[in-house]
Amino acid sequence: MVNPEEFIEEKIEEIADEVGEKNAVIGLSGGVDSSTAAALAYEAIGDQLTAVYVDTGLMRKGETDEIRETFDYMDSLRIVDAKHRFLEELEGETDPEEKRHIIGEQFIREFETVAREVDADYLVQGTIYPDRIESEGTIKSHHNVGGLPERIDFDGIVEPMRDLYKDEVREVARALDLEEIISERMPFPGPGLAVRIIGEVTEEKLEVAREANHVVEEELEEYEPWQALAAVIGKATGVKGDNRVHGWVVAVRSVESRDGMTARAQELDWDTLQRMQSRITGAHENVARVVYDVTHKPPATIEYE
Amino acid sequence: MTHIVVIDNHGQFTHLEQRALRDMGVDVELLDNDTPPEEIDADGIVLSGGPDMDDIGNCPDYLDLDVPVLGICLGMQLIADQLGGRVGGGEYGGYADVTVEILDDEDPLIGSLAPETRVWASHADEVKEVPEGFARTATSDVCGVEAMSDTERNLFGVQWHPEVAHTEEGEAVFENFLAVCDQQSAPRQ
Repeated sequence: MVNPEEFIEEKIEEIADEVGEKNAVIGLSGGVDSSTAAALAYEAIGDQLTAVYVDTGLMRKGETDEIRETFDYMDSLRIVDAKHRFLEELEGETDPEEKRHIIGEQFIREFETVAREVDADYLVQGTIYPDRIESEGTIKSHHNVGGLPERIDFDGIVEPMRDLYKDEVREVARALDLEEIISERMPFPGPGLAVRIIGEVTEEKLEVAREANHVVEEELEEYEPWQALAAVIGKATGVKGDNRVHGWVVAVRSVESRDGMTARAQELDWDTLQRMQSRITGAHENVARVVYDVTHKPPATIEYE
Repeated sequence: MTHIVVIDNHGQFTHLEQRALRDMGVDVELLDNDTPPEEIDADGIVLSGGPDMDDIGNCPDYLDLDVPVLGICLGMQLIADQLGGRVGGGEYGGYADVTVEILDDEDPLIGSLAPETRVWASHADEVKEVPEGFARTATSDVCGVEAMSDTERNLFGVQWHPEVAHTEEGEAVFENFLAVCDQQSAPRQ
């Protein structure tokens, strides 16, 4: 395990040396990796760093406000409202890989605009060790702005956490006094709720996914899951108030893990499961049923797409 | 310090093998499986898992380097395949939680885990017959050969993943392998 205090001291010095008097940008997703990288870089170079948070419209309930509050101390924080542009690009697309690709592309476009505006010379990224390994293979590309260096000729890319694992990043985040809301934050995928919606991303499904994720996170807090989520996975028949409904099926998933590489579906008690079911079906007339996913990883992955 | 190389057969968990050893204070190096065997100078070799028996690079040559080898998942299957054993599809895939029964409590690699151990696995194929010189050292309800050892040549294999967090006694497997490596390299030092 890394020694967080020594690590922080060393990296702050390294970043300051590397960037010097120039400008840097970092994409802030709200996740623990990019937040920790941003905090480290900000300690090193202050307002020479512009942190960019893109509100894709695919975020969890209240996420954008939390970010605004947590990173309020950075004068240079930019929040880009890009909801409509993302939803427009995603319209009609049902293929999971294509969805990821569209989101990645749009991210780059949004980010590129800001990077040019602030005349950024360096790109800071929250890449961690498993990201590099997985990107070298063909499993998936991790960083939403991973294609950015091909568009903008940066002087350099700074990845202070490239040798760390997720649990070590959390140690560093704690040592940096990042609020618990960040250091203990559940992993959330770059493409956001889009990968928790099977098929086309629509406003209607997004609304269901956002509210259901909120219920799940709230109800499962006491189980301290490594990750808990809800996904809109299809349609099925239900009956509500003597009317037949053909409504959404929401899958609830809650896992414990150290590093996300393997995961165990959590054993939840019946009352908790029923409470989630009741809150989700009760508040949304277009949800017909709620199911709980009992599959470990492997054979399933944690996210649905 | 003991120097171990981890050979990457493109498995998802390969970097966790490196991490498990690093966290134990071992001098560990991750190498591609096309590294020429003559460039490997190590006290022990770990062959990682991976998706494809046709993509094992120079792994067969590493078995002749006269240093202890630990094959994990595909890494074990390739040892069996190369040395005259047999690998085939399992009737029942082994995923996630598996309870493994240890058959030889004196085995240097996994004997200390006897009588049984809870592991995490991810495989469709399995070793059907161990090669000559090997003993089957563990088994489970879903897979006949969960581990095998050749203590003459110090070649070992486990079908499960000792490197993942959900395997209960994964560290012990690496510690036992290190002890074998240290013992074999001792006279040279």
